[in-house]
Amino acid sequence: MSLPESMSRIVVAGTKAHMDEAIEVLYGAEAVHLIDHTVDADEGFSIGSPREFSSKASERLLKVRSMEKELGINKHTKTPSLPVEKVKSRILSNSVESVEDEVMRVLDRRNDLNQRIAALNTKKNNLEILQMLPLDLQLYGGYESIAVIVGTVAEDPSEALIKAMDVEFFVATMKKGPTAVAVFMRNRDRDKTVSTLSAFGFSEIQVPAGSTGSPAEALKATETEIANAEAGLAKVEEELAAIKERHQAFLRASDEDLSITVEKGEVPLRIATSEYSFVIDAWVPTKMVEQVKEKLEKDSEGRMYVEFQETRGRKDAETEAVEKRFKTAPTRMKNGRYSTGYEYATKLVDVPKYQEIDPTILIAIFLPMFFGFMVGDVGYAIPFIILGAYGLKVAKGRDWRIIARVLFFGGIWSFLFGLLFYGECLGMHFTGTYSPTGITWEHIFGMEEGALGAFSAVLPDFIHYEGGHIVSHVGVGKLVEIPLLLKLSVYIGVVHLMIGYICSFINLNMRHGFKHAFMEQGGWILAFVGLVMFCYALANALIGGNMGDLTTVYMVPFAVGIVLLAAGCGINIKSHGGMSIMELPGIVGNILSYTRLAAIGMSKAGMALAFNYIAFIMIYDSMGGVLGLILGFAVFLIGHLMIFFLAILSAGLHSLRLQYVELMAKFFVGGGKEYAPLKVTRKKTHYEPLNTENKTKAEV
Amino acid sequence: MALEGDVGSGLIAIGAGIAVGLAGLGSGMAEKDIGAAAVGAITEDASLFGKAMIYMVLPETIVIFGLVIAILAIFVM
Repeated sequence: MSLPESMSRIVVAGTKAHMDEAIEVLYGAEAVHLIDHTVDADEGFSIGSPREFSSKASERLLKVRSMEKELGINKHTKTPSLPVEKVKSRILSNSVESVEDEVMRVLDRRNDLNQRIAALNTKKNNLEILQMLPLDLQLYGGYESIAVIVGTVAEDPSEALIKAMDVEFFVATMKKGPTAVAVFMRNRDRDKTVSTLSAFGFSEIQVPAGSTGSPAEALKATETEIANAEAGLAKVEEELAAIKERHQAFLRASDEDLSITVEKGEVPLRIATSEYSFVIDAWVPTKMVEQVKEKLEKDSEGRMYVEFQETRGRKDAETEAVEKRFKTAPTRMKNGRYSTGYEYATKLVDVPKYQEIDPTILIAIFLPMFFGFMVGDVGYAIPFIILGAYGLKVAKGRDWRIIARVLFFGGIWSFLFGLLFYGECLGMHFTGTYSPTGITWEHIFGMEEGALGAFSAVLPDFIHYEGGHIVSHVGVGKLVEIPLLLKLSVYIGVVHLMIGYICSFINLNMRHGFKHAFMEQGGWILAFVGLVMFCYALANALIGGNMGDLTTVYMVPFAVGIVLLAAGCGINIKSHGGMSIMELPGIVGNILSYTRLAAIGMSKAGMALAFNYIAFIMIYDSMGGVLGLILGFAVFLIGHLMIFFLAILSAGLHSLRLQYVELMAKFFVGGGKEYAPLKVTRKKTHYEPLNTENKTKAEV
Repeated sequence: MALEGDVGSGLIAIGAGIAVGLAGLGSGMAEKDIGAAAVGAITEDASLFGKAMIYMVLPETIVIFGLVIAILAIFVM
């Protein structure tokens, strides 16, 4: 339960003449979180304007990005990292522009060819229609007093045309496709003909101008032209691929370098400037203030003045007291090496506020533990550990890394639970006489009953009566000791929820003081404890059948529970109003929600039992022989693989849900702003080892 | 589980089945709308996944209540 790192506010001032150096120095410190300057925040200051180099760089960046898009270069394209100096000098010597020329020339040719192919295809379609009519192409034009209309219709218009006027026409109907029609008429009858034809779904086509001879020959010529154009296009595509190959490393590298330049050039837009000076407000982690101050002043050769302003506390009163733009201190989550990997799970809900407990450590502890409790089987644990370890080694994306992490640590927990608590592997106990199918690993390996006796001594000693025999030291059967597992789940839930309530109390105490926290949350804590005690006594009396005991041993928790519950409700009614009583059943709901820990364990064990029963008893025992062995093994393998993958989904999601809904809903508010210091991350460019000391200078 | 040839035990088993079945149906009905909305929201903005998941799994508790009742019915009654 750690708080986000303590933050301090500093002011940095310098002269505008040395702005570029100042920006480099700020980036070099890698710890300065800028506070955006707002208009009219300080008299005499206004928001700065971008550096001159920035507009040229963003123009070039635009060109690079559009080329990358045209050439199909994206973040998945693998390119080597180039030295920064080389990339910068190439950019300065107008390489971006020359590459653009090269790319654009080829792209223009590609566009021309594409247009040409489209036009030729239209011509081809028209010729295919004209081919149906028995006329040569030159006959369609060149008349003075006669107009010609050619096109396609849906039905044969012959009768209508004859009836309407004095025209000459040709109609050709094919089995498939449209009907072609060519009509020759007097010039003055043209409009009338078109309106007659339009009733038949007429659509006009253009006869290629200047063509002579039969349409079939023209069609053949057009097809050759199309083939030539397509060959030309293929060649252009090849050229483009060659250009991409040649320039992709430079484009990716210059994209990165130009983005950095643009970002740096736009820093003045976030800071306050006067005629000759600039002032920067920034957050710095408290423990780094001295270090940052020293570094800034040293790197700028004394041209920058740094002054410490305040260390922000967690009280709301402190936040209220300051100017609006200084209210939100950024959140830098501070977790140990083990739990840092779970920060992503917290951020999926929200970034914690600066003034609240970061639940990451709780998630890091309970998420894998619940997972292990639900899976609780050595046979599934080992593949989980292997899969998780492999995932942690190769996975890069944040989503996959958290999944791998949960599988790895969850696997370790389920190994421990499986070995020392449930005593199970693939749904079968290691030892003992009792098992739902009657199969144990002792049987499978042909060992004497109790051969693993030394091992069984470490298993918990739960005495279980089965058929008149006392069975113990075999591990907790998930389908046998159900009342025990249910109780255990509920107890885990009570502890987990109590942690949530305590965190909420700590948060409120930190922000508003003890009295406020007690009125706000103390009532809920009392009501929670009271309800737990009350329900404990009641459950034992009603469900456990210990009605007679109500007068003796359960009377104390019963009475204390009622008193606490009443006190809690009293405080709640005073501070939250009467409706707060309506929320009491919700607490019981929250606690019962943890019974899913037992329920999912049971469902896994139930499926495992079914597959083991089919494989060993229904197939192997009844069929016997090699076939029985192979078939039984196949069912065994497929069945357990299925359970294994279902476990990832059900156990993983349900344990995450218990963190999000039951635990975090008790205290987590979120809505913090993440700490994002000015710094440069280079992936596609790097500094040559020799020049590292000149790094900051070379950036400009 | 002494369920042999005894009408009372049979009724208990049916009761347990109804408890889980209807509770499951209930949470399914509640989750279908939330799920559809959640997927829509995540398509717009993937960072909503965590919050969407919280809303999505809220009604799941209903089926757990059903399960608890069923277990109580079988093991305690």
